[in-house]
Formats: sequence, C-alpha cells, structure tokens
Amino acid sequence: MGYGRSDSYRVATTQDKDDRSPKKKKGGTKDMDDLKKEVPITEHKMSIEEVCRKFQTDIVQGLTNAKAAEFLIRDGPNALTPPPTTPEWVKFCRQLFGGFSVLLWIGAILCFLAYAIQAATEDDPAGDNLYLGIVLTAVVIITGCFSYFQEAKSSKIMESFKNMVPQQALVIREGEKVQINAEEVVAGDMIEVKGGDRIPADIRVVSAHGCKVDNSSLTGESEPQSRSPDCTHDNPLETRNVAFFSTNCVEGTARGIVICTGDRTVMGRIATLTSGLETGKTPIAKEIEHFIHIITGVAVFLGITFFILAIVLGYTWLEAVIFLIGIIVANVPEGLLATVTVCLTLTAKRMAKKNCLVKNLEAVETLGSTSTICSDKTGTLTQNRMTVAHMWFDNQIHEADTTEDQSGASFDKSSVTWLSLARIAGLCNRAQFKAGQDALPILKRDVAGDASESALLKCIELSCGSVRLTRDKNKKVAEIPFNSTNKYQLSVHETEDPNDNRYLLVMKGAPERILDRCSTIMIQGKDQPMDEELKEAFQNAYMELGGLGERVLGFCHMLLPEDQYPKGFAFDTEDVNFQTDNLCFVGLMSMIDPPRAAVPDAVGKCRSAGIKVIMVTGDHPITAKAIAKGVGIISEGNETVEDIAARLNIPVSQVNPRDAKACVIHGTDLKDLSQDQMDDILRNHTEIVFARTSPQQKLIIVEGCQRLGAIVAVTGDGVNDSPALKKADIGVAMGISGSDVSKQAADMILLDDNFASIVTGVEEGRLIFDNLKKSIAYTLTSNIPEITPFLFFIIVNIPLPLGTITILCIDLGTDMVPAISLAYEMAESDIMKRQPRNPFRDKLVNERLISIAYGQIGMIQALGGFFSYFVILAENGFLPSFLVGIRLNWDDRAVNDLEDSYGQQWTYEQRKIVEFTCHTAFFVSIVVVQWADVIICKTRRNSVFQQGMKNKILIFGLFEETALAAFLSYCPGMDVALRMYPLKPTWWFCAFPYSFLIFVYDEVRKLLLRRNPGGWVERETYY
Amino acid sequence: MSGTKDEDRKASSEWREFFWNPRTHELMGRTASSWGLILLFYLVFYLFLAGMFVLTMYIMLLTLDDYKPTWQDRLATPGMMIRPKGDQLEISFSVSDTESWDGFIQNLNTFLSPYNDSYQVQTNDNCPPDQYFIQEDSGEVRNNPKRSCQFNRTMLEDCSGISDRFYGYNRGQPCVLIKLNRVIGMLPGKDGQSPYVTCGAKREDSDKIGPLAYFPPNGTFNLMYYPYYGKKAQVNYTQPLVAVKFLNASLNTDINVECKINSNTLAEGSERDKFAGRVSFKLRINDK
Repeated sequence: MGYGRSDSYRVATTQDKDDRSPKKKKGGTKDMDDLKKEVPITEHKMSIEEVCRKFQTDIVQGLTNAKAAEFLIRDGPNALTPPPTTPEWVKFCRQLFGGFSVLLWIGAILCFLAYAIQAATEDDPAGDNLYLGIVLTAVVIITGCFSYFQEAKSSKIMESFKNMVPQQALVIREGEKVQINAEEVVAGDMIEVKGGDRIPADIRVVSAHGCKVDNSSLTGESEPQSRSPDCTHDNPLETRNVAFFSTNCVEGTARGIVICTGDRTVMGRIATLTSGLETGKTPIAKEIEHFIHIITGVAVFLGITFFILAIVLGYTWLEAVIFLIGIIVANVPEGLLATVTVCLTLTAKRMAKKNCLVKNLEAVETLGSTSTICSDKTGTLTQNRMTVAHMWFDNQIHEADTTEDQSGASFDKSSVTWLSLARIAGLCNRAQFKAGQDALPILKRDVAGDASESALLKCIELSCGSVRLTRDKNKKVAEIPFNSTNKYQLSVHETEDPNDNRYLLVMKGAPERILDRCSTIMIQGKDQPMDEELKEAFQNAYMELGGLGERVLGFCHMLLPEDQYPKGFAFDTEDVNFQTDNLCFVGLMSMIDPPRAAVPDAVGKCRSAGIKVIMVTGDHPITAKAIAKGVGIISEGNETVEDIAARLNIPVSQVNPRDAKACVIHGTDLKDLSQDQMDDILRNHTEIVFARTSPQQKLIIVEGCQRLGAIVAVTGDGVNDSPALKKADIGVAMGISGSDVSKQAADMILLDDNFASIVTGVEEGRLIFDNLKKSIAYTLTSNIPEITPFLFFIIVNIPLPLGTITILCIDLGTDMVPAISLAYEMAESDIMKRQPRNPFRDKLVNERLISIAYGQIGMIQALGGFFSYFVILAENGFLPSFLVGIRLNWDDRAVNDLEDSYGQQWTYEQRKIVEFTCHTAFFVSIVVVQWADVIICKTRRNSVFQQGMKNKILIFGLFEETALAAFLSYCPGMDVALRMYPLKPTWWFCAFPYSFLIFVYDEVRKLLLRRNPGGWVERETYY
Repeated sequence: MSGTKDEDRKASSEWREFFWNPRTHELMGRTASSWGLILLFYLVFYLFLAGMFVLTMYIMLLTLDDYKPTWQDRLATPGMMIRPKGDQLEISFSVSDTESWDGFIQNLNTFLSPYNDSYQVQTNDNCPPDQYFIQEDSGEVRNNPKRSCQFNRTMLEDCSGISDRFYGYNRGQPCVLIKLNRVIGMLPGKDGQSPYVTCGAKREDSDKIGPLAYFPPNGTFNLMYYPYYGKKAQVNYTQPLVAVKFLNASLNTDINVECKINSNTLAEGSERDKFAGRVSFKLRINDK
C-alpha cells in the first residue's frame, strides 16, 4: 500500500489509457465503487418541461441540428465503449515468457554464452552448445506459439457473436422526423419508438400509446412492462416513464426525450462496471502457477547447488555452466504446459459437443471446482415464456401441462365449463400466430401479442384446436382493450349458431374485478347464483394460485338478451352502451413462466455433487420462490422463516432464523444488510433465493460467496447479470436468449440455454482435474531419470548416461501422447457424488504427488535407465567398477587410446558412440518404464484391472511412443542428427524388470489404499 | 504501509509455524512419528531398490565373458596413437632449447622402459615372425596364461633411445612412436602380410615434411603380435610399435602429419573418427 495517496486525484483525471500503474488502479477502484451504487437518474421525477429545459430541447421541434452536433461532440457517440482488449503481441509475449519459459530461456542463453566462450577460447569449438541453445529457443517459441494459437482460437469464438447490424433511430430534429444512425443520437433528442424497435438510448417517455417494453435483459422480469408518461416509482428502474437503452419495445408506440446516451445509460453503466471488474485467476491457473513454482523451485535449487558443487569439485566455470544447463533442461517438463493446454482443449471440445461452449480454456476446469452456483431464473431455470399452468373451474383447480414437450398430465376436458372457458380465452384475446408457421409445433410458433395472451392462445390451441376457426365462427363486433384503470378486456361476438341472434360478451381481467361484475357462476355448465360459499371458494383458489407465483386472470361471459341487443345493435365501446355487469363467472386461468423440464434433475445432481444452488433473480419474491420450489432450489419440506411463522402462527420476528434452512431475500432488504449479516445468511442457509435484485446486488452476492471461500459460478442471460458473470469465477451465459453483453462477460456459453448442461460442465471439469493430476504425475515421474544421470555424472565422474537432446526427445516426443491420452481416461468413481474440491487443500500438485512421482516411481525408473546404461558399457568392455572417475579421460578428445576393463583401447569417437548408444538405451528404458507409468497413472485408487484398458488413445499412445523411440534409434541419419544410435534388441529388455516392478509396486500400493481407507498409505501417497 | 508490514509479519510467522509448530510439535508440517514413519518407509524402500539393482547388475555381470567383451563392433577399425603425447596432439620444440623437448624424452623413456630387451627376453617368447601367434583354448579348458611375443626396444634402432638417447630431438630429427590400439582378437592382415604405417603431410605441408625413416623397417606391425587375448589372459602382452623419424623436416613451421595403417583386412575408419586407422598430429621444430 505504498503508493502515494495524494497522486490518486491527479491520476484519476489523466486520460492515459495505457498507464497500468497501481496508482491508476486506485482511481479505478473509486470509479468502480461509484458504479456499484444504484442508478442516479432523476429525470423521471421531473416534469416534461423541466426535462426539456435541462436538455435545451423542444417537445415538438426537437433539438436543432447545431445543438445536436454540439452535444455529439461533447458526449461522444451513443455507443458502448468496447471493453479494453489486451493487444495481441502482449498476449503472445505472455505465452513466450510465462510458465517454464523463463527457465528455458535462461538455459538457452547459457548455451549461447557457453558457445561464445568456447568459440573465443578454442580453435575448433564443438557445436553442441550452439545446437542445444537453438533447440531450446525453438522449443520455447514453438510451445509459446502453440499455446497462443490455442488461446486465440477459443477467443475467436466470441467474434461470431458480435452483432454488426447498425441500429437506426427515428429522431425529431428541427421539427422533422429523420432516420439516423443510433450512434448519432444525443441527449435531448426527441425520439419515437414503435413495437419491434430496439430503444436507442435511455429515454424519458413523453407520450405513449399502448407501449410495452421488454426489460427482461435489464431487470429479469419476464413480462413486458407498459410505459406511460407518469412517474410511478421513485426507483428509475421501476418507474413507467423511463425506457432503457437496448431494451426492446414490444408493442405500441412511444415518444420520449433522450436523457442518457452511450456509456452513461443504465445499460452502459452496467457494461462499464462489467468490463472494469478485475477478475481473479481461474482456479486451474492458480493450480498450474503453484505447480510451476514447485518445479521451478526444485530446478533452481538443484541447479545452483550443483553449480556450486561443480565449482568446489574443481570443474571449470564453463563445465559448471554446462551442468547447470543440463539440470535445468532435465528439471523442466518442457512438454507439460502444452499437454495441459491440449487436455483442456480436448475437454472444451467435448463440452462444446454437449452444448457448453467454453470461451476461456482455463474455465473448463472451473465448473468442476465450483461450490456455489448463482443462477438467474428467467430463461435459465425457466423456459422464458408464459404458459398456462393452472385453471380453476367447476370449483376445482386443474393443472395444465407446462412441460416443453407436452409430456405432462392433462386434465378433464369434457366439462362444459371448460369449453366455455376456452371459448372466452380464445375470443377475448388479441394475440395471434404469425403467418406461415403451420408446420411448426404449436409451442414453437411465434405469436404477435403480449406474453399472457400468447400463453392463453397456445393453451387453447393445444387443447381445443384452432382458435382462428373459433374466431371466424364468432365474428367480433366490438372490443374494449385492456387498460390499467378498468383492468379488464372485453369483446362482443356473434354466436356460432347462425339461428341464434344473440351476442356473446366475453371478458377477462383481474380476478377480483371480474368477480365484482358477476352475479352467477358456471358450475358443470350450469349457471348458479354466486353465493358466499362460492365466493369463498373463489378467494381460496385465487390465493392459492397467486401463492404459486402465478399470474391469475378471471374469465366471465354473458349471452346478451336478444330483446335488448338485437342483431345489428351498435355497440359503442367509448361510451359503453351495453351491460357489463351481472355476468356469469366461468373460471380462472393462471400463468407462469414454467421451469425447464431438465432443471429439477440438474439441481438435484448439483446438490448431490455438493454444490449449493442459489437463485438470484430480478423477479418478484413470490414467483421466484414458487419456481425455486418447483425446481428444487428450495427442496421439499424446507421452510423459510416466513413459512415457519405462518405455520406456527407467530410473528416473523419470533422465529429463530437458524430453524429455517431456506430463505427468500428481497432486494430492498439486501440493500440494508451489512457485510456480516450477508455472510451470516450465505453461511447458515443452504437454500437461498434472492429476488428483486439489481445488477449491482447480484455482484455483491457473488462477492459475498467468494469471500466465504466458495468458487462461484453464475448463470444468467441478461445485461443485468453481466457484472456478476464477470466477477464470478466462471460466468455462464445463455447462447440463445443471452444478450451480447452477457456473452461478452461470460467464460462459458450454454448453447441450448439449458441449466442441465451445467451438470455436464461440472462433471467434465472434475474429470479433467483428476486427469490432469494423472497426466502431471506421469510427466513429472520421468524427471527423476532425467536429472539423476547429471548428478551422477558430476559427483562420481562417470560418462554421461543421458544427454540433453535425449531429454528433450522424452519430454517433447515420447511422453506427449501418453500424457495427453490420460485426458481421455474415464472417471474412477461417481465424481458427481463427492464434494467439490477445496481450493485451499486439494491442490493439483501436492507433496504426495511429488513424493510418488519423484521419490518412488521416478527412482525405480532411474534405476531402470542406469541398469541399461551399465549393461551397454559392460557389454562393450567397460565394467561398472571401472567407470567411476573415468570421466576426465573419457571426455578428453586427445586421449585416443583409453583402455577398457579388457585391455582394449578406444579412440574418443569410438567411446563416444558407445556413450551415445547409452543415451539412446537410457532413453528407450525411460520409454519402457513409462509404459508401466502410464498404466499405473490411469487410476489413482482403483486397480487397472478394475478400470480396464478401454482408453483407446492411451493404447495408441503406448504404441506411438514405442514406435517413435524405435524410429529415433534405428532411422538412418539419426546418429548425425540427434546422436542416437541403433540398439541391440536385447538392450530393449534391460528396463523390463523395472517396468514390471513399477506396475506391481503401484498395484500393491493401491490395494493397500483401498483396503485401509484413511490409512497411512492414503495419507502419504494418495495424490 | 502498516498493512504490508503486518502481512509480512503474518507471512513470516506462518512460515515459522510451518517450520516448527510448538503447539502440535510439528517440524515442517509433520510430527516426529510422522517423520519417522516416512523416513523409515523411504529407507526400506530404497534399500529394497538398491537390493533389486544389485541383483540385476549381478545377473548381468554373470552373463559377461571374463576374457572377451560381448560386443566389439565399435572397434572394427582400431585407433592409432602417438608417443610422446602432450595435452594436445602437438609436438613442438626448439632444437636449441633443451627444456622444450626434455619432457618428450622423459615421456618416451618411461613409455619404452617395458620394451627393454632384458625385460622382454625374461618375460616373452621369441616367436616366428610374419604369422599369427594363435593360442586356442581347448573347449572349456583355458590355455592360460597366454604367452606373448617379444618386442625388443632395439628393434626401433635409431629411435630406441639407446644409441641416441635424445631420440634425435637435439638435432631436429625427432622420433615419434606410433601404436595401434589393442583390440581383442583383431587380425590385422592376411596372407602373411603385416600391416604397415605410412606417414605423410596433410594439405599444403607436403613439401615441408622431408624424408622419413620407419623402424622396424617398412613400419610394419608384425603379425606375430596378433591376435591379442585381453589383459586377463595375456598379462605380459607387448604392444608392437612403429617409430617414425623425421630426417629433414622444415624448421619454424607447423607441419600437419597424418599416419595411416595399411592393412588388407582392417576396414577404413569412418570420416567422423579422426583416430580410427590413422592418427594426425602437428609437428613444429624451431631452430632456436
């Protein structure tokens, strides 16, 4: 916290965008806090004149062109500033210098340095070091490019989502309506919107005709909201006279004054908040970093120790540097990061097939470690379309089928009352199917009209056949559309029977209003007088349906007496000249945006996987709670504080909040909660629903969960979700219904908008975490047989058993495919039954993995390698006892008559060929022991015999590495290119006993592990 | 500011706690018994591994022959070497500066001491020349120790260091001894023709090298010294030598000399190996 406090103000005003100093961040934090506060719009409380005055505009003439141009220059274009992107070269450099690359760069530089020294001091310097330096540089650059392109590929996915169509807006300037590009709209412009338009800026509505806007992407409310010039609420988000940038006008027309443009709009503020959020590293990135630290630490420690040791033992500086290079090369698993990238890519591909599109590769694993999912309701848990859920007629509640595929139960459709109800719902309904969709199933068809009327239309169409036919038979004579004062809608129709000249009046609306206008009620097709008992039944039904979070509509009808209303009667809808009371009540229909069919199951799976599912929605608490109960977020039998209070008939304040496992929290309450209270709620309730939350509050909820150490996944589709999506460890956006902003902020996109896909994601994420462990255990093991040759070379002065080039052949050649193949390994047990991993305790690479890989299996491997080394030297005449201390003469180019154990004499080149043959044999031995290693790494607990060898890629990998080893050994020209020599067939078998030992040893270990759960073996060796 | 310090202190105390936790008596995150168990495990495990390694090594050594290595394919062309030999293969001296060649003389004297006639006569046989001295084992019964043929120092004549104890170095006519690397069972010639050494100058030095004299005559390695039976069977084997005397090499200039073995059985060495079947060295004689 050393940065100067006094500087922050100055910096906050400077516009240097590239300045990424901590000071700037401080200024940024302040802005962020500001953005996290609620929207500061006040125009909705002003009168229209005041607003006009504020923006120097005229309600009829609009802005003058000059003013508009001036404002445009002052405020900039009406567009969202795209989030700052990291330049490509920075990303590339990050790949080039991140991870192990630094160590390898050091190795390469040391190589060049050593070569330079040699070139300066010797006449005929050996090219080995130059060669190795070039190879190392190439390795770093190639793996860097590889990771870069992998990353670039996944980020390219995003570009396909960008909406390139320029928006148009109709503005009034200097009294004329002009169509201009939406970007040129400025504050103060008078604009007109009509049904179907996207609102080009935040506007204060001046006049409206049946205007409804879809705010779902901003607030999460699934129903269109009507707009009017009156201020209905202090909160700008809830008042009727403000329409927001990038929401859609569903129907009607409106005219308004632009009050905010671009980034200053509500949507813009959310987008800015989103892009400004600092997201932490993904859990897997942290794990990989942790692991790189361990390996680098070991490499640096060993390197420096042996450098000093070499100097102390009297080696020259140059030799010591060459040892250092060797140790670095042997220690760094060069191919591992590429392997990890490939494994993640493979999983990402597999997930994409299952409709989870991963934008950021590292996010693949995040779902697996997720311990809390904050899910939006609308569109994610629900189908995002109103559907008739219940009906009440004949004094009975009937349940309608709300499933997407109409597989649910149906109700008795034979009742006359139902037919009447269906007729009313069909006739007193302005919604209609758009043309040309006859081939589609009814539920998939597009409807022109508002959500609840569409729901009714579809429901009737499904159960009673074509509504259009009914409407054709019953010609509409008059109609009063719904308005907020009447709270009903009525229409008058001719009857179906051509002989019956009566008119049929049908009406629907708010149930209590409808009831007031009724004197009779239809029961089993018969009119009965409405008595108190039936009224009470109505009330109960209404309450019950309302309690389910459903929107309830009442329906009634009346056959108008022919004597009063003869054929041709002129119905006047303005000045109602006909009977609108003493009608006959038929029934209630209630609608809800029903949960998706797969969601309850998915929530259940998340539960059993130890993941807490929290619902966070902008919708009303009752609806939210109903859906939460429907999908199992509030499980059966669990009560909220309010439920307990209602059951025990005591005030809410007397209930011990600890008794309630579930709770529903209203956004306005959330506002008043302190951080401690918030933590308390998140900690003590297992089933939580947040309703009426603002985007900022969603963010606070996510931060609260993260503060408690949870890894949080957020799902959402709206713009209102995007700050939370960004802040979450993994943001999951919806591919179909999701807004662009949310997709931009998310790490993963569910292409089918189905919450159930998340379960797949969790499963894949957990699997890849396990498999990465295996992959890393496999790769790290071969480090020991790579390092030990150097150590023995330095300490006991034997000829070098394994060269740096051969080490690279292992790390980048033979080890790669088997390591990758482990990513295809099946889960050992039901990974969806265990708790999510604890990021503080369950590390990707822990000391047990290192102990197994380095201390045990690696040691056996090293022995296998050394054994074949000794075999080859002994069979060529250099017995093991003879080798110790031979190095000085062995590596002396001038000694060309070095004597072996049998008295034969060897030239430098002759014995070097034997040495390189040893390198090749050591390399082949590592391949052989790695066969066993990959097989034991298939499982961490189970026996291979339980797991089976079903992983075809792994079997391919075994053959591939063997073929590659044989190729490197036997291909002509390899002696010159890589200094690898053909092996006698028997030398391939030297490491077999060790390979077998590895297999047996690990099977025994795993047997003990299974026999004594929690025992010493598990504590010390279960990685 | 204070926050960072606190964090530092916290981190360091965490570290200290990790190193030695007085509450749980844990050293580096483990209690004494936990350390004991894991160390015991590793001790037993490594002892077992060592045992296994020793066992496999023992089995491997059992498969080896005591007298002849399993593979000799890398020694198809025997190497050649010169004496005297400095750090580099370079013989550079001043005729007038005794110190500059004194080292070479010492080197040659030491090298040739086992070739003294008295010693050779005492230990080795006088074999019939120009034919291999073959001493077969009869089945399982080893015909050991095998005898070796005499190579008397006097056979080197002017380069024996007997008549001229400075090997010509004091007169600018240095002797260089050339030897062929020992390879068990190698038969370097057929039809009674012994392999012989020829020396010549490399590149543009051909006019500087002057006339050469070879001892024994023609620079041959007589066939009677072959085959070699290995140091265990043929303890007193004496490696034959060829001496090359530079009679009138140019002074004050580097001469790159290459000597080659000429044989009708030995394969030509590979291009990469500069010492298989040949040997190169640099000769420089200064007059002051």
